[in-house]
Amino acid sequence: MGEPLAGTIQQTTGTVRARRRPTRGGPLARTRLALALSAGKLAGKTGRMLKLGGGTSFPGIVARRIDPTVLRKVVGASTARKIVVCGSNGKTTTCRMLAAIARAADQRVTQNRSGSNLLPGVTAVAVNGASIFGGLDADVLVFEIDEATIRHAVPEIEPDVVIVNNIFRDQLDRYGELYAVAAALENMIRALPAEATVILNGDDPLVAGFAPEAQAKRLYFGIRTEDVGTQVPEHAADTIRCVRCQHDLEYTNAYISHLGAYRCPNCGYARPALDVAVTRARLSPDGVSEIAVETPAGTVAFGLPLPGLHNVYNAAGAIAGALAMGLDLGAVPAGMAGLRPAFGRLEDIQAGDKHIVLCFVKNPISYNTTLRTILQRPGQKHVLSVHSNAETDGEDFAWLWDIDLEELAPQLASLVTAGKKAEELAMRFKYAGVPEETIAVIPDRPQALDAALANVPPGGTLYILSGYTPLHELRRVMQQRGWVAPFWEE
Amino acid sequence: MEPMTLRICHLYPTLLSIAGDRGNLMAIAKRAEWRGMRVEATEVGVGQHLDFTQFDLILFHGGQDKEMDVAARDLEGKAASLRDAVEQDVVVLAVCAGYQLLGRYYEPFKGPRLEGVGAIDLYTTGGGTRFMNHIALECDFTADGPHTLVGFENHSGRTYLGAGVRPLGKLIAGSGNNGEDGGEGARYRQVYGTYLHGPVLPKNPWLTDHLTWMGLRHRYSDVEPLAPLPDGAEERAHRAALAMAMRQRGKMTALEATVWSR
Repeated sequence: MGEPLAGTIQQTTGTVRARRRPTRGGPLARTRLALALSAGKLAGKTGRMLKLGGGTSFPGIVARRIDPTVLRKVVGASTARKIVVCGSNGKTTTCRMLAAIARAADQRVTQNRSGSNLLPGVTAVAVNGASIFGGLDADVLVFEIDEATIRHAVPEIEPDVVIVNNIFRDQLDRYGELYAVAAALENMIRALPAEATVILNGDDPLVAGFAPEAQAKRLYFGIRTEDVGTQVPEHAADTIRCVRCQHDLEYTNAYISHLGAYRCPNCGYARPALDVAVTRARLSPDGVSEIAVETPAGTVAFGLPLPGLHNVYNAAGAIAGALAMGLDLGAVPAGMAGLRPAFGRLEDIQAGDKHIVLCFVKNPISYNTTLRTILQRPGQKHVLSVHSNAETDGEDFAWLWDIDLEELAPQLASLVTAGKKAEELAMRFKYAGVPEETIAVIPDRPQALDAALANVPPGGTLYILSGYTPLHELRRVMQQRGWVAPFWEE
Repeated sequence: MEPMTLRICHLYPTLLSIAGDRGNLMAIAKRAEWRGMRVEATEVGVGQHLDFTQFDLILFHGGQDKEMDVAARDLEGKAASLRDAVEQDVVVLAVCAGYQLLGRYYEPFKGPRLEGVGAIDLYTTGGGTRFMNHIALECDFTADGPHTLVGFENHSGRTYLGAGVRPLGKLIAGSGNNGEDGGEGARYRQVYGTYLHGPVLPKNPWLTDHLTWMGLRHRYSDVEPLAPLPDGAEERAHRAALAMAMRQRGKMTALEATVWSR
C-alpha cells in the first residue's frame, strides 16, 4: 500500500479498527457461524454445479437462515477497510473501478459482484470470501448496496467510507417516491460516526444537500470542465428545483439530467466546492476517453476505456473513494486501463458470425444515456427490447414513456419485443412511430433471441436493450452456447 | 376542408410528470394524427395564469408531495378560470396529484392542509400506507356500453367523493379511491379524475377516444363518433395488464411477498 494521502484519513481508519471487536462468543456461537458459512458455501457450489446460476445470492440466503448475524460477525472481525457504494445509477461500475484501483495498489479486494446488491447478495460477500471460521483474507471490502437495502445492510457493515453516486427516479413502485429514497440515504449518513467519510456527488443538488449536520467527514466530487455539458438540463431531468426553497435552479453547465453546476437565484443554494473534480473530459464514443481529475492529493490523468459521460462520474466517485481509503492514487491509471464494460453495460459479445451489444437499461436516465451512445454509431439497428416484471425489475413500467424511443424508431432495421412485458413494449414502440405490423412480439426469451439474430446479416450487430431479470436469462442462453463466460467468473 | 383541431393544455409538464405522464398526451396526439386530425398542445407552467376556457382538453398529472406544494400555491392564480372551464364542459383528465388538487383540499399525513381548486366536490386525506399495485375497474359512461380500465396505482391519499360526483368506475381489482367503498376515480361534467398513474390512456384506447371526442364536441357543434382504429397492440397490452391486476387481486401492494419488504 502506498503512503496515505491525508493524515486525518489514516487516523480515522485506526480509530474505526479499534472500535471493532473480534468474533467472540461461546463455542455454540462459533459453531453456528461455521455451520452457516459452510452451508452457504456449499449452496453456492451446488448451484453452480447444477447450473442454477452463479450463486450470487443463494449462499447469502442459506447462511442467514442458519446465522442471521453472519454478515455482521464476519465483516466486524475483519481489519479490512470497508467501502459502500449506493445511489441510483453507476453502482456496479464504480465498485469495479474501486476494486481495480485497489488491486493496482497491491490490495487484496473482496466485493459483491454482478449487481447482486440486495441483502442476500451482500451477505454472499462474507460467505464466499471468509474461511469457515469467519476469517476474511482481504485488505479492502467493496459493497454495492441497493437503495432498498441500505437501512438493513449499512448498520451490519459499519463502513469506513460511503459513496452516494446520484439519485434518479428508479422503479417508483419499489422504492416509493424519489424523496423517500433520499430520506433513507440521509438517515444512513446521519448515523455514520465521525471517523467515517461520506463521499457525495456535489453535482446532484439533492445528494449534495444531504444531512449537512452529519458527523462524518464529507468529500464532494463532480465535473468542472467546459469539455462536456449543455446550458439547459435535458427533458426528463428529475430534480431541477432547489431542495431548500423549491425555486427553479439555474445551471451554468448541465451534464446528465439534473447533474451539473447549479445555483438557486432565490436562496443562493449552490453546488458546493468540489474536493475531487474532473477538469478534463475528452470523450471517445468507443475508444479511450482522456480524463484528468483534481484531488487534494494532486491531479490524476488517465485513459478511461468505458464510453459515456456517466462513466466519468463513476470514475470521479471511485477516485474520491480511493482517496478516502488512503490508497495511492498513482495506481489509478493502471487500474482504469484494465477495465472492461461490466456485465451488460454495452458489453460486446461475438455470437458466431454476428455481434451482440448487450445493454442493461433500468430507468429513463440509464436508458436514454445508453440510447444516445448507440445512436452515435452509424447505420440502421437491429434491436431486441426485453423487460419483465420480476421482483428485482419492479412492477410498474410507466417510465417507458419517459424514454426517447422516438429517436431510435427512424434508425430501426428490425425489432423484436420480449419478456413478460413484450406486449406493453410493442405498444410503446408503436406510439414511437414503428409500424405495428413490423414488430415481432415473442415473450419467450430464448426464442426471441433466435428470432432477433435471424434478422441480422452475417457481420451485423444486434443491440439488446434489456431489464435486469431478462438480461440474466439471455446471458445464460449465450453462456450455454459458449458465447460468454459465466458472469461470476469475470 | 380544414382538419379538425383539438386544443390541449398540458398543465405543469415539468413539475407534475412523475412517471411517464406525457404518455397520455402522446396517445391522444398519435391517434389524432392517425385520424387526420390536428392537435395543438400548450404547455402551461408556474406563474402562467391564463383563460382555461379557450382549451378543449386539459391534462393535469401527478407529482410528489414537494411538487404538489408548489402546484397548490400556484393554483391560487389559476383556480377561478379552471372552475369556469369545468363548468363550460372543457374535458379534464386529472391523475393522482392533479386529481387530488382539483378537489376541495388535500390533507397530507404530515404537514399542513393544501387548498385545492374546488372544481369538483371531493377531498383527500393522506394515509400511513401506500396502495401500489396493478388495478382494474369497470366503467360505464360511454355510448357503446361498459369498458374495463387498466393501469397501476401508487398513492397514499384516500379520496372521498361529494354527493354530486360519481366514481369513474367500480373496482374489479385494486384499492382505488380509499380502499373502502369499491370506487375508483371521479366523474363530474367532463372531468375524469383517477389514481391510475403514469400513462393511463395508451393501454385504454377507448378512454383516449372518448376524451378526444368530448373535446372535439366542446369545440365543434356537430361531431360524429370517431371511426375505430386497428388497435391490436393496444388490446394485447390491455389484456396483459388486466391479467396482472387479476393475479394481484386482494393485495395492497405488488411487493408483499418479496424479500426486502419483510
